[in-house]
Amino acid sequence: MHHQHEGKLPTRNIPIRDFVSDTVCIPMGMHLGAPSKPCVNKGDLVKLGQVIGEPVGGLGLPVHASVSGEVVAVEERQLLGAAPGMCVVIRNDFADEWVEGIQGYGNVETVDPAVVIPAIKAAGICGMGGASFPTHVKLSIPEGKTCDTIILNGAECETFLTADFRLMLECPGKIVDGLRAVMRALNVKRGVIAIEDNKPEAIETMRKAASGREGVEIAIMRTKYPQGGEKQLIKAVTGREVPSGKLPIEVHTIVMNVGTAAAVADAVIDGRPLIDRITTVTGCVQRPANLRLRIGTIIGDVIGECGGFSEEPGKIVFGGGMTGLCVPDTDVPMTKANNGIVVYNVKDARSVDESPCIRCGRCVEACPIGLDPYRIKHYCDKGDLEAAKQHHVLDCILCGCCSYNCPARRWLTASFKNTKDAIALEARRKK
Amino acid sequence: MDWVPVILAFSVLGVIGLVFGVVLSLADKKLKVETDPRIGQVREVLGGANCGACGFAGCDAFAEAVVEGKARPNGCPAANAEAIGAILGISVEQGEKMVARVICQGHNGVATERYQYDGYKSCATAAGVAGGPKACRFACIGLGDCEKVCAFGAISMENGIAKIDENRCVACGNCVDKCPRNVIRITPADAKVIVLCRNSDSGRVARAACMKACIACQRCVKTCKYGAIAVENGFARIDPEKCTRCGECAKVCPCGCIVDYSVVTPREA
Repeated sequence: MHHQHEGKLPTRNIPIRDFVSDTVCIPMGMHLGAPSKPCVNKGDLVKLGQVIGEPVGGLGLPVHASVSGEVVAVEERQLLGAAPGMCVVIRNDFADEWVEGIQGYGNVETVDPAVVIPAIKAAGICGMGGASFPTHVKLSIPEGKTCDTIILNGAECETFLTADFRLMLECPGKIVDGLRAVMRALNVKRGVIAIEDNKPEAIETMRKAASGREGVEIAIMRTKYPQGGEKQLIKAVTGREVPSGKLPIEVHTIVMNVGTAAAVADAVIDGRPLIDRITTVTGCVQRPANLRLRIGTIIGDVIGECGGFSEEPGKIVFGGGMTGLCVPDTDVPMTKANNGIVVYNVKDARSVDESPCIRCGRCVEACPIGLDPYRIKHYCDKGDLEAAKQHHVLDCILCGCCSYNCPARRWLTASFKNTKDAIALEARRKK
Repeated sequence: MDWVPVILAFSVLGVIGLVFGVVLSLADKKLKVETDPRIGQVREVLGGANCGACGFAGCDAFAEAVVEGKARPNGCPAANAEAIGAILGISVEQGEKMVARVICQGHNGVATERYQYDGYKSCATAAGVAGGPKACRFACIGLGDCEKVCAFGAISMENGIAKIDENRCVACGNCVDKCPRNVIRITPADAKVIVLCRNSDSGRVARAACMKACIACQRCVKTCKYGAIAVENGFARIDPEKCTRCGECAKVCPCGCIVDYSVVTPREA
């Protein structure tokens, strides 16, 4: 829609570098599902990769120590959500000593397919593209459903972010290994790595890495936000349309982020839990960068590593410009799903006041799902949940295209999110 | 000019009209559905906002139910129950007058601001952004979700929090359901002395979040001669049954979070 303003240039050609801070604050609720239960106490010494949070419930995931050192606090902190979340704070001793018992399974082409999904769960992997859905649950195909294609999402259509792009350039082998591990685990014959055509270098590198690997192909996508949306990607790659209200498995497809695939490769080959991830830091910082950050790194430290703010910050966003979440201050920690930190200056951060709808229909043209945002917004403002549902507000993927294009600067996406939450709340109350 | 077609048209239409008129008047007599005239009279007395506080689908449904004896005549908080009683020919006691009250005094400048919120003007959205723009996670957010659902125009946003006009409020409870912070409570209108805070954090944290937060210091509990005040979950609460509205607790409260409405009007509080 607006790839001319994608903002990827400052970090596009900057190689990934490591950054480890001296204190990390690891939230227990980084994945979709019930937060994990902390299983360490203040004063404990933990090693790298040690389980510090035990999974709770069906969507539960373990959380691992991302540095070695002393646990200095186990407490509730205000994170990005509505209510404070439990966090484990660890002071790093920089020994980086791995916990005993980390055991991999070696080559993904020879590994027993049955061990892959348990290894993914044990490594605490959730979707790293932003939605943070537990990967082992996504890969557990429900009874009666079949999967014939696994798509790796390397589109990275979100503005500002270059983390997946750098990962594809620098660790292409890992991504292909991760894809092969999952394909073998589910006995799927076709794996597609989908990349937008604004990343020719990544297409070239991935093509080289994939050559000679069974069933792995590269698909080149048009650069167009939201090309990397799950349903949009499936449509573009396979031509299949996911029915309203259904999951991709309905059309025999599973979509994973390239970062998730790389984490899967680490988990299967080396038995390494998810303790770090690649994040783009850009916007008003002195030295924009692509950093490999330990989970739980405080963003104030990250911005310090990038030379501090270059202008007075107006807004700091986790994720990209279109779907990112605002953070209240610089004490917030990194999570498994956080692929970017974007700092806006005061001028860019300011919102413009909402004005009445002029019925220009630009939101209708922009909507990748084919909804009528202006009309749904009317029902959302009235609080008419039934009518909003009838106009398919639940199919909205919250990509933000309508709000971006609206000349009246109406809060379309925000009100749809509100309404979707209200509908979910009402359904829970009825139960 | 030839007048015949004109006269013909008039007379044909006139005859058709006459026939239909007779048929309709006969149908009206024959097929008449008996409705109780009292339903209309009761409906006149009701608020007419279809707020739903009575538990029925709207004012019409409630009026019908009252006349049929399926609803309590004092079930509508917006109507004069005695007037309904007069229509029905029975004596009805007006229910206790209740009002919705915002249990928060976290005005701009009183409550500590965590960040400046500049997004979609909705409390539900703001509450989901890192716990809301105010440091107190129990505070009224003040973006007017309740104002939008109030059918009686009783709620306005003043200085960062919701204000309820007690004369207009009928305690229908729509705002209570809408508030993402659960900060509005239905209380008896004559409960003039109330604790306007429900922050259950420790005193230190609560004080840092708001200058008018209850810090659970227990001074009100010790002052109250009637045992009407209890501190539970980190904030004080007055039992309106035991409270004599003497207002002594409001005088000793170091944080000013107990308000005596018989001394200050709700507007000033």
